[in-house]
Amino acid sequence: MTATSPAVSISAPLDVKNVLWLLAAMVFVMAPHVPRLPYWIAIFCAVVIAWRGWISWSAWHFPRRWFMVIVTLASIVGIWLTYRSVFGREAGVALLIVMAALKLLEMRTQREVTLAIYLGFFLVLTSFLFSQSIPLGIYMLVCVWIFVATMIGFNRIGSSPNFAERLRPAAAIVIQALPLMAAFFLLFPRVQGPLWALPRDTSAGRTGLSDTMQPGQLSNLIKSEEVAFRVQFEGDMPPYGLLYFRGPVLTEFDGRTWRMPELSSSGQLRYSRRERPVHYAVTIEPHQKTWLFAIDVPAEVPKTTTRAGVLYDLQLRNIVPVNQRMRYEMTSWLDYRYGEETPRVILMRLLHVEPGRNPRTVELGQKFSSETTNARAFVNRAMQHFSTQFTYTLEPPKLDLRDPYDDFLFNTKLGFCEHFAGAFTLLMRAGGLPARVVTGYQGGEVNPLNRELIVRQADAHAWSEVWIPEEGWVRVDPTAAVSPVRVEGGVNAALGPIGVLNSLIASDGSGMLPYVRYAWHMMNSQWNQWIIGYNTDRQRQFFMNLGLPTVDWRTLAFWLVVATFAVGGAVSFGLLVRDRPPRRDPAVVAWQRYCSKLAAAGVTRAPYEGPLDYLARVKSMKPQVAAAAEDITRRYIEARYGAGATKAELKELMQRIAELRPA
Amino acid sequence: MIANIRQSISDWIFRATIPESPPVTLVQRRIFILPSKQGYLFALVLLLLLVGSINYNLSLGYMLTFLLMSMAGVAMLHTWRNLAHLRLRPGRCDPVFAGDMAHFGVGVETPSQTRFAIAIRRRGEEPVYADVVPGVTNGVAIPVSTRRRGLVRAGRLEVFTRYPVGLFHAWSYIDFGLTVVVYPKPDPFAGSPPSQSRSHSEEGIPVAGEEEFNMLRAYRAGDTPKQIAWKALAREQGLLTKEFSAMASSELWIDWDEARGADLEARLSVLAHWVIQAEGFGQSYGLRIPGTVIPPNRGDLHQARCLEALALFDNPEAAQ
Repeated sequence: MTATSPAVSISAPLDVKNVLWLLAAMVFVMAPHVPRLPYWIAIFCAVVIAWRGWISWSAWHFPRRWFMVIVTLASIVGIWLTYRSVFGREAGVALLIVMAALKLLEMRTQREVTLAIYLGFFLVLTSFLFSQSIPLGIYMLVCVWIFVATMIGFNRIGSSPNFAERLRPAAAIVIQALPLMAAFFLLFPRVQGPLWALPRDTSAGRTGLSDTMQPGQLSNLIKSEEVAFRVQFEGDMPPYGLLYFRGPVLTEFDGRTWRMPELSSSGQLRYSRRERPVHYAVTIEPHQKTWLFAIDVPAEVPKTTTRAGVLYDLQLRNIVPVNQRMRYEMTSWLDYRYGEETPRVILMRLLHVEPGRNPRTVELGQKFSSETTNARAFVNRAMQHFSTQFTYTLEPPKLDLRDPYDDFLFNTKLGFCEHFAGAFTLLMRAGGLPARVVTGYQGGEVNPLNRELIVRQADAHAWSEVWIPEEGWVRVDPTAAVSPVRVEGGVNAALGPIGVLNSLIASDGSGMLPYVRYAWHMMNSQWNQWIIGYNTDRQRQFFMNLGLPTVDWRTLAFWLVVATFAVGGAVSFGLLVRDRPPRRDPAVVAWQRYCSKLAAAGVTRAPYEGPLDYLARVKSMKPQVAAAAEDITRRYIEARYGAGATKAELKELMQRIAELRPA
Repeated sequence: MIANIRQSISDWIFRATIPESPPVTLVQRRIFILPSKQGYLFALVLLLLLVGSINYNLSLGYMLTFLLMSMAGVAMLHTWRNLAHLRLRPGRCDPVFAGDMAHFGVGVETPSQTRFAIAIRRRGEEPVYADVVPGVTNGVAIPVSTRRRGLVRAGRLEVFTRYPVGLFHAWSYIDFGLTVVVYPKPDPFAGSPPSQSRSHSEEGIPVAGEEEFNMLRAYRAGDTPKQIAWKALAREQGLLTKEFSAMASSELWIDWDEARGADLEARLSVLAHWVIQAEGFGQSYGLRIPGTVIPPNRGDLHQARCLEALALFDNPEAAQ
């Protein structure tokens, strides 16, 4: 049987199906970028891709060269007008997308197809500049799969494969590549980037605390469910009410806004009392600012991040902005006393009240101060004031711009942590007690599956620190006076659920949904720690866990080679095992033995001769073995072409052939 | 220049022992594999992806880079395996007239699964692609355009594949010594062969043919129904075939001396035309050219023999 195939020329126009596959793959890979792109680029790409599809579908002619040149230049100008740059992350990605679309439009040959597919791989990479979440990772894996399927389609020259014939071999290649990918991911020597300066706009659209505070500013942050950082405790978690994560300390005040001081000096951590240590590790999300967070009060500079230090006001600061996920180990003291000997010159600055602003508040502070005999009593008097007349809400009314704290304390009386902290600090200063605002996070959510504390932007908080003679710095949280449940149970408990989704999953602790949510968080945490946060340090730690304390690049290279050969060997074996010839029918083996015996005796079977024709010839030429030959031939025909033969019958056949003596 | 040097180096490295006895199995040591141009470009892409991943500390970027790299490695094995263990045998190489497309036939078999996009090409020519399905001999016809009469040699054939992803080029060389006979292009204006045929043969010599009933013999597969002795079958004598012999009494001689032409090729074209004409008339004819005399006969085989003699006349190694 033969099947003849016609000659296929490689220079024929690109196959419609293949082109449509490539266009679909491009749409898939561009899709995650669309929400970030200006409308005109999204529409432009859609039009160009549809146009290219139409060209292939109905054998329409390609656009003229001058047209392509004009469109290309126009789109570059458009991007420049939109972003005022063609470099940087957002503009660069937009440019890459537009160029990829235009490449599709003028793609005519197999070579240009290759270029387009490679551009697609770059688009996959650019998606990771914006997010490296689990869903996006999986989605991009699917995109790579589709691209490989497209490559397979274009290389199936001579026939047009169907859906499964593209996707199945592509899946095989991707799956077979995964073990080696994992090996390289773990073993490839990691270099800490960046190799060159990062584009300036990487901070675009990130949320987090800022270095200033004014009434009403935090409320947008508090509505965000974004994770700020995660904390894993060594041993028991401290009581919920003590989970104050210290961030920026604001001392400068202009009547409305609290700011960080221009200059901060690092200081010795001179604690006159430090007890109840707590050890923990923080995995912080990038927030493009230098501060790190630690539970009040930090003991030492983090071990792993040597480029961080503690300032005299106990702020933990990194040298460079946190622009990638980072993990550091900390120790804090829950029971402490410090700062009794703070120099007067510093304390004087912390008494500053902008003259003429918030006069009624200043008056109230002075009143409280004069009514009480010592600092403690003064603080309690002010706290009492908050606990009686104020309401905690995230939707406070707008305040007067000139005297916002007067407006808040005497008119609206509605607010949340930053209103309370700001007003309280101002009262303290007016009453002659040095005070400052501390911002950070309070509380968080415990994942019951891995005992990890998830701290979100919604947990952002602000409180006060006052300097009491003989005692030093004391934390006072006026919000606790207004809404104790905020401090004890988190912001959701204080407010009730925010939004529909949260009310579904966060309102109570029963049912499957919280479990799913926690499992998701645990997965995310593992992902962040081991996949996204896998860097030089993690790699070293990984080898330490394997019992290899010192690992140099030679060892890594050696294991990489081993892994490559192991995977290559396994794949080759899997491929070649299918090529083994099928086991031969034992009846045929026996028959060939019979024929060669007779051939030795002078009766060679001709290639065209069937068993019966051969038998006839054998009978006439070797009459002495006629009966035996007939028996063997009959058995062979039955075994091969008849009902088949059992093992015993085959053995019998072999026996008869062995006994045959034709010579 | 560089292409020439590369060609001669590759000729030296991949010099084959020719011709080979079929079938040829493409065993491991016969298969060469190197990245294709696309493959080298892909390596560059991988490098750029790696640099980007390092610069932006993109863990998933590293993953993408390593995934694509591993896929290239796996694809190399797939490409190699797509060619490995194929069995090749020479196929039909039918003669053609000069100016027509000739085809070198190669039969390809796979021991297991379908092999996609297997290409065969002669040096410097466009390849022919075919999917090789198991269980049959897949015929691949490699076209070659002919201009002159003579013998066209296929020479060494390159069997290659880039499936599945085109990053690697796996290839092997085979040489079955395939040849195609290219007949002279018949001259349509040559008219009919001269009727004043001169008989050189003795009277009464029987020549195997169909002219006169000679004898009955046992039926052989391939005998035409016209030849079957139906009457004998009706008499239950079994399936017999009537054999005739043509008495070479009236025969035509196609003679070199009678063909007029500007040059040798033109004369051969005239002769080729006469051979075809004579065969068309159903006449028994012989061919006489310097160095060769083909006694009169008729039938496809005889015609082919005459045309081949014309094709190879004085020119045993014609170029295509």
